[in-house]
Amino acid sequence: MATPVEPPVPQRRPPPTVVHLSEDWLSVWIGMLVFVLSLGLLAGLDTLGWAVTTSVWTSPAKALAPASKNYAHLPGLVSLLLTYLAMLVVLMAGAKAIGASVKRFAQGFTVIFAVSYACWFLGSWAYIAATPDKRAALHLPWSLNLTNESGFIIALVVGLVIGNFMPGLAAWLKEAVRPELYIKTAIVVLGGFLGIMVLDQRRLASAMIFQGLCAIVCAYLIFWPIVYFVARRYFGFSREWAAPLASGISICGVSAAIATGAAIRARPVVPVMVSSLVVIFAVVELLILPFGAQHFLSGSPMVAGAWMGLAVKTDGAAVASGAIAESLIRAKAAANGINFQPGWILGAATTVKVFIDIMIGVWAFVLAWVWTTKIEQRADQKVSAKQIWQRFPKFVLGYVVTFLGVMVLGTLVPSLLPKVKTAMGQANIFRAIFFVLTFFTIGVLSNFRKLWQEGIAKLAAVYVLCLFGYIIWVGLLISWLFFSGMLPPTVKG
Amino acid sequence: MPEPVIGEEIRKMESEYEPLLPVEKKLIWYTFATGVGLCVLLVLLSHLFK
Repeated sequence: MATPVEPPVPQRRPPPTVVHLSEDWLSVWIGMLVFVLSLGLLAGLDTLGWAVTTSVWTSPAKALAPASKNYAHLPGLVSLLLTYLAMLVVLMAGAKAIGASVKRFAQGFTVIFAVSYACWFLGSWAYIAATPDKRAALHLPWSLNLTNESGFIIALVVGLVIGNFMPGLAAWLKEAVRPELYIKTAIVVLGGFLGIMVLDQRRLASAMIFQGLCAIVCAYLIFWPIVYFVARRYFGFSREWAAPLASGISICGVSAAIATGAAIRARPVVPVMVSSLVVIFAVVELLILPFGAQHFLSGSPMVAGAWMGLAVKTDGAAVASGAIAESLIRAKAAANGINFQPGWILGAATTVKVFIDIMIGVWAFVLAWVWTTKIEQRADQKVSAKQIWQRFPKFVLGYVVTFLGVMVLGTLVPSLLPKVKTAMGQANIFRAIFFVLTFFTIGVLSNFRKLWQEGIAKLAAVYVLCLFGYIIWVGLLISWLFFSGMLPPTVKG
Repeated sequence: MPEPVIGEEIRKMESEYEPLLPVEKKLIWYTFATGVGLCVLLVLLSHLFK
């Protein structure tokens, strides 16, 4: 019997591959948008003057106001609503670009913004925030002396409650729970603000940048091998687990674990597991170390800032710890009649963290070379420049551009400096909002129940031993060696 | 991505122990020694040019 000839099956074209923007690049674009809009002032356009500021308040009705006098006619609540709507529109476009569900993102972001700003507002209550030098003006008999950045701690605690006791709500918010996006955007904006600091205090800022680079090179090379050795020799972890674990604990948490996992070609589950542990312990550090820094290092504020950058893992938690340490140390100093200029302790933490992020790419390259040529001996597999570029944290580029942009403007056209300062002040409003969103979402993301998962104890044991027995103390020593004797400038008057 | 079962991973590692290779020992100690050496050098340099 003849086989029936089947009609040719028309070949289907494969569906077009949709390439989404990475969260990393998105943070660069959003940060740059804020930066560029703020510079509208140079052309006489007050493009961000409507953004809301929250002052330390005794009467809630007087707490909120627009940033610029040009918008003084706007009620504070309208300014807050405009700020929310502007961020919502930009971030919804961003959500679409990274392939997230825009509707779910908008719903989640609305709740996250509302809760986070409420925490920020509460943290600005004079009884919580006022420093001793401001009490008389506010007619206060006492205050907790925590500065308005206590709003960060409140946001973190509220986030932790939701993340651990309200799993349904945490899951509903998930699409907008993106602490890495928020903190990276904040860091891009922060670049411009730090540029102003450098223009004001060139010598101190250059020293801070140089010492930060030195500290990082040493910390990388001293932390990583010991953690790797402990994981391999004493806990019996395989090479596939020990390398991402060592990078996660000793370098920069999630990004380093993922970059190292890719460099040594570990299965994707390995860095994912390490990362979930990193996030949990970063929150523990965030809750403890800034208070330790205030108690023991209030006389060495820059050491404290660098220590936060070196010891606390994940970009969000490290920069957040720098912000809390700054508020606590400045408050303590203010009680003793010393008013340190804001931004320097946070600047030290951020500088160290940015260098860490840059070094991740370099270290991943070194590990990839060692693994392919020496351990697995696949000399044919070379690490290409493209791979190194893929592993490079892109938000660092945004930070460098805003930092250098302000430096170049201020140096070449000094007459523009007052306007650039005002512009960076307005951009800084969004930096603070992105910070508080970061704190809240870090809390939501930290699920401590993971610690009860079968087998996690061994992984956590390496983490606890190396972090609290080695990294924190060696990080403190390195910070001390490079930053001792360096003090932030004081505010006159 | 499926959630990794960490318990199974740990059991597997305990049954198939990978000893430290000489090249790993070299990586560990050379890196550490470079770190300590650089630390001393950079501290000296930074204090010299303060």
